[in-house]
Amino acid sequence: MNALARRAAGLLLSTLCLPLVAFAADVQPTHEFILDNGLKVVVREDHRAPVVVSQIWYKVGSSYETPGQTGLSHALEHMMFKGSAKIGPGEASRILRDLGAEENAFTSDDYTAYYQVLARDRLPVALELEADRLASLRLPADEFAREIEVIKEERRLRTDDQPSAKAFELFRAMAFPASGYHTPTIGWMADLERMKVEELRHWYESWYAPNNATLVVVGDVTADEVKGLAQKYFGSIPKRAVPPAKLPLELAEPGQRLLTLHVRTQLPSLIYGFNVPSLATAKDPRTVHALRLISALLDGGYSARMPARLERGQELVAGASSSYNAFTRGDSLFLLSATPNVQKQKTLADVEKGVWQLLDELKTTPPSAEELERVRAQVIAGLVYDRDSISSQATTIGQLETVGLSWKLIDSELDELKRVTPEDVQNAARTYFTRERLSVAHVLPEESAHE
Amino acid sequence: MSDRSAPRYTLIGTGIIALVVAVAAVLARPAHSEAESSAARPANTLQSLAELDGKAPSRRQLNIQNWTTAEGARVLFVEARELPMFDLRVTFAAGSSQDGNTPGLATLTNAMLNEGVAGKDVTAIAEGFEGLGADFGNGSYRDMAVASLRSLSAKDKREPALKLFAEVTGKPTFPEDALKRIKNQLLAGFEYEKQNPGKIAGKALFSKLYGDHPYAQPSDGSAESVPGISLEQLRAFHAKAYAAGNAVIALVGDLSREEAEAVAAQVSATLPKGPALAKPAQPVEPKAGVTHIDFPSKQTHLMLAELGIDRQDPDWPALSLGNQILGGGAFGTRLMSEVREKRGLTYGVYSVFSPMQVRGPFMINLQTRAELSEGTLKLVQDILADYLKSGPTQQELDDAKRELAGSFPLSNASNASIVGQLGAIGFYNLPLTWLEDFMQQSQALTVEQVKTAMNKHLAADKLVIVTVGPKVPQKPLPAPTDKPSEQPLGVPEH
Repeated sequence: MNALARRAAGLLLSTLCLPLVAFAADVQPTHEFILDNGLKVVVREDHRAPVVVSQIWYKVGSSYETPGQTGLSHALEHMMFKGSAKIGPGEASRILRDLGAEENAFTSDDYTAYYQVLARDRLPVALELEADRLASLRLPADEFAREIEVIKEERRLRTDDQPSAKAFELFRAMAFPASGYHTPTIGWMADLERMKVEELRHWYESWYAPNNATLVVVGDVTADEVKGLAQKYFGSIPKRAVPPAKLPLELAEPGQRLLTLHVRTQLPSLIYGFNVPSLATAKDPRTVHALRLISALLDGGYSARMPARLERGQELVAGASSSYNAFTRGDSLFLLSATPNVQKQKTLADVEKGVWQLLDELKTTPPSAEELERVRAQVIAGLVYDRDSISSQATTIGQLETVGLSWKLIDSELDELKRVTPEDVQNAARTYFTRERLSVAHVLPEESAHE
Repeated sequence: MSDRSAPRYTLIGTGIIALVVAVAAVLARPAHSEAESSAARPANTLQSLAELDGKAPSRRQLNIQNWTTAEGARVLFVEARELPMFDLRVTFAAGSSQDGNTPGLATLTNAMLNEGVAGKDVTAIAEGFEGLGADFGNGSYRDMAVASLRSLSAKDKREPALKLFAEVTGKPTFPEDALKRIKNQLLAGFEYEKQNPGKIAGKALFSKLYGDHPYAQPSDGSAESVPGISLEQLRAFHAKAYAAGNAVIALVGDLSREEAEAVAAQVSATLPKGPALAKPAQPVEPKAGVTHIDFPSKQTHLMLAELGIDRQDPDWPALSLGNQILGGGAFGTRLMSEVREKRGLTYGVYSVFSPMQVRGPFMINLQTRAELSEGTLKLVQDILADYLKSGPTQQELDDAKRELAGSFPLSNASNASIVGQLGAIGFYNLPLTWLEDFMQQSQALTVEQVKTAMNKHLAADKLVIVTVGPKVPQKPLPAPTDKPSEQPLGVPEH
């Protein structure tokens, strides 16, 4: 949701004169309804091409997991491809493949989601398969024995053999001392080694209920069509009580933390993370929108402050970025990272100084009207561009719903954002960019360890 | 609200977060499975599948219009009025295969386009695009260099965005301070790549496969070649490689034919004048064999390659379909089934033909825990040898054809995908009916034709192999799942 942060961050200026053109095309009709068993369905019509995307989002992810059982949500995601009442292991993928569908799944802290993109006449197959594995997953022990090896390979590939990813995993564990966001989604290797298929069955039975899911369909369909199909395939799956899910709340001011890591890299890098609220946890949503605006001012384009000043003006960094995900179920982090420009003999200390200059300036000086206008232009254009992809529309809807917000936010957030004033930006910077909220990682080449 | 690519030339992924947040957000990608597995599979109880009529699905009809500008640029245009926006993609035969003796020249030239025009420095250019809500993009590869623009179509946005785009593409000033900075960023990028065993393997593979051919060099050049590149070289390269006669202009969006002609004319007229550049020579056959590079990772990366085909090769439909069955990325391919599903040896394994201006590579790519790497390599070689020997089964071919027909509607569902297709059709000089032709030719193929084409272009003993990982004592592979392989359920058709 980084792009949302960037795009939607603008619009603080009170006069929001949307150019007519931006909404010249009718906004796609979007419908929602809830089946008797609690399954929520959102349908967005997009009739440009005879294709459709179906996504089902479950409210479970790594932030729901407990120590010793990390990686369960993701492992279950893998096992969801290993057969249910109507089909054998791997068969659903084969059926969908032969229909020319793209399908996959993804897991994060806050959600587990499955999707299919396919020609519109094939939507019933996608829904029948999805309903079948929600109702009757098999979880064969022998399939699990092989699949857990695949998952370990995935961990080696994406984390253990990627120094940057490994550093970021440890950084997050430090930056979230109190909440489930501490846990890496793929799970710690020691937990993968001792994971049992019975634990997965328990996880599945706990969380995979229709009343804990959202079905999102975007494309060349009507609400009635989808309603009929959803009722037909999902309607008979009984509602089930799910465990109470507590929002992952963090300590507001845990104190400054420093992690020094030596990894197999040639270049040092710096990570900063400030403990901040999300839209779901903030007392005043305006502070969250102010943080989103700040992220756009810092890194919302090649003319933003980090590339313009740190990368080009001062030539302090080879690269730098900031990001803030306001759309999490619990508290969030405001992240900054940078690699020093070693060709210019810049050090991590120089970079830290440069970063603090940017942050402190936000506290003291309101952003200029031109800067805000640029962010606003990107926001408005981005709303149009995002409509070019049915998948990105569906993902936005599914993610908002799953973290406890509403998809209707897409339509209303322009108004929300325009209430943010330059003073709100300064207040947010003063409140949140403090040492008490800060985690720092110095990621260094291994050679330095011997110094 | 989802990611759209930032309109900036990011050389090293702007540090850790850009790399890692993307992973963290959608960690756990392909939880996927195979095909010909088994288990107590009940008869077809999928009601929805039985109800499908088996016809190929309908798809969005594209009316591709084309013409040539006064200066000789080829233009392809699709009018799409649904959204008030347009995509412009200008492709030049200006990739690293035109570098000559200066690896990195094409990349540096491309990266410098938006660093300065008359009266504007890099920040002013970025402010110009971003103030209009327009996305400028650029990129340089082995064959091609690309400059692209996505903008709202309203006149007050479109016209200034196009004016700036035309200047940036056709009349860049190449400021000296920017060149120094971008060289430094490239050098940082080379350092950064050293932590990545996959990158190391890829570089070594191209070097072994292509020898003295320009495709052997990484597009970005090297730490040795980049520092010496001069502004004069950039200007000379731009003058010949960004010439109108060497350009293909692809346009999709909310424009009339007249407006599209005006857009193309403006872009073309601003470019240097000149003809298309000659293609590089065809590469010569490499020496088969295995190269190992020691690296302290947990996994060993395995890359296996041979020379494949160029984009004009008439065997492309047969090879594409043949490869789709062998290891085309989906689940249920022979490689995915044997290596991942039956044995749990890897997270992902795929094979690919990359047809290029001249013979591009055929590659198989995977990674596995180091102690099983030798056994896994042998397994993959055996799968390829067996496939070449016996060819696909009739069932595999029928399934692949259905898959292809079913996926066709997805290939032109968005403006972004259409503009990419137009760019490729124009760049490789394919007929406007290329997509339809490809589909028809593919559907007409027989098992024998696919097998013959695969064997004409590949041989099990010609593989150039690169492995990157630690040297550790090897273990035997686990036994594959012993469940009987059943005929797949299949999709009703005919």
